[in-house]
Amino acid sequence: MTYLDWGATSFPKPPSVRRAAADAMVRCANPGRGGHAPAMAAAETVFRTREGIGEMFDCQPEQVIFTSNCTHSLNMAIRSLFHPGDQVVITGFEHNAVTRTLHGMGIRTRVAGKKLFDWEDTLYEFERALAEGCRGAVFTHVSNVFGYVLPVAEMSALCRERGIPFVLDAAQSAGSIPLSLKQLGADYIAMPGHKGLLGPMGTGILLCGKGVEPLLYGGTGSESRNPDMPAQLPERGEAGTANVSAIAGLGEGIRILKRIGIRKIGQKEETLIRFCGEELEKLGYRVFRGPHQLATLSFVPQMDCEEYGEKMGKMGIALRAGLHCAPLAHESAGTLETGTVRISLGYSTGQEDILRFLRAAAKVGP
Amino acid sequence: MNFYFITFRSITAAQRGERVLQKKGIRCQLSRTPRWMEEQGCGYCLKLGRSRISEAVGYLREEKIEFRKIYLQTDSTNVEEVKL
Repeated sequence: MTYLDWGATSFPKPPSVRRAAADAMVRCANPGRGGHAPAMAAAETVFRTREGIGEMFDCQPEQVIFTSNCTHSLNMAIRSLFHPGDQVVITGFEHNAVTRTLHGMGIRTRVAGKKLFDWEDTLYEFERALAEGCRGAVFTHVSNVFGYVLPVAEMSALCRERGIPFVLDAAQSAGSIPLSLKQLGADYIAMPGHKGLLGPMGTGILLCGKGVEPLLYGGTGSESRNPDMPAQLPERGEAGTANVSAIAGLGEGIRILKRIGIRKIGQKEETLIRFCGEELEKLGYRVFRGPHQLATLSFVPQMDCEEYGEKMGKMGIALRAGLHCAPLAHESAGTLETGTVRISLGYSTGQEDILRFLRAAAKVGP
Repeated sequence: MNFYFITFRSITAAQRGERVLQKKGIRCQLSRTPRWMEEQGCGYCLKLGRSRISEAVGYLREEKIEFRKIYLQTDSTNVEEVKL
């Protein structure tokens, strides 16, 4: 099987990640709930992962909240900042994790920047929306459908200059592009633990530039007589038992990335995706590609994209077809009715994987 | 028998404190806070010897690691809160 669906999750998980998760199941009890050795081992495991994430994203360990996934993180961030009736600027490339959360809360959205791979347009539209009185901003770093890398450093600066709070969705960039919570000055950065960071599914991270409003209320192992959730991070955002074995695996994923180097991974993914796009075009495919593209590429085959995905699956190529939970991105690119076929790469994707895919793509035809 | 207990609101805060002190070469032990020391119920503390307590508290303050209280235990029955 040639796995080209890293945008959904990293697969297969590295052996050392699997070992770390399995080891935690026999070594760790409930962290922060007791003083006995297995509980303390769990607490140490969780804290080490927090430290690793803090070092990677330039923040303190207590600014790292563990969640179940990026959607969970985004929900917490959005609910901490905005209220029903607020108007928030988003880009034309947001995932349902952002748009449904805002919609569900009755928050009005102003969509700014719908042109693919066009930083000038994105920045112009974004700045205009901020100037017209938006209460805050939520924006993705990399489109999960098209791999478009948005100019988030500049967008963050525009927000900071105006004192506008913002949330960055780093679902597709964490592990491929270096990020600093401090430098961006974001209120929150949300990311999954199981995609670019190589951890098990069921892990998510919220990096906090400020305090949070809890999504869940319950035990934290501290201040038990306090009827409210503790005020301090990360406990305020972490009610209930943590997914310790998965967090242990995530910690190992972080160590792997540090050894390889995030920048190196991103550069490789960028080179491979450019090569793949060029070759697909030579085969006659309608490909969405451009500058500022990372690890992900979409194309529209002549046949139904789900049928295309199924054919490729039978040929041993795992990719994803449809709307990728991001109808807004498809609306922006004009592919809402057809959907697209998406390939997405990861840290271990090699040239040979792309060549296998291209041979299959040539066989199936555009 | 002279031990100090620095109490924290949460395990994460206590762990941050533990790391800071370890980096400075100050030996300490992370454990649950004795029930009567923690009026909010459930917490963690760092237990350390007398010789470097002032230095340790200084480092925690320098790193902005919030702790609740400091207790001195002089024998098995005598424990008192101290201000440093």
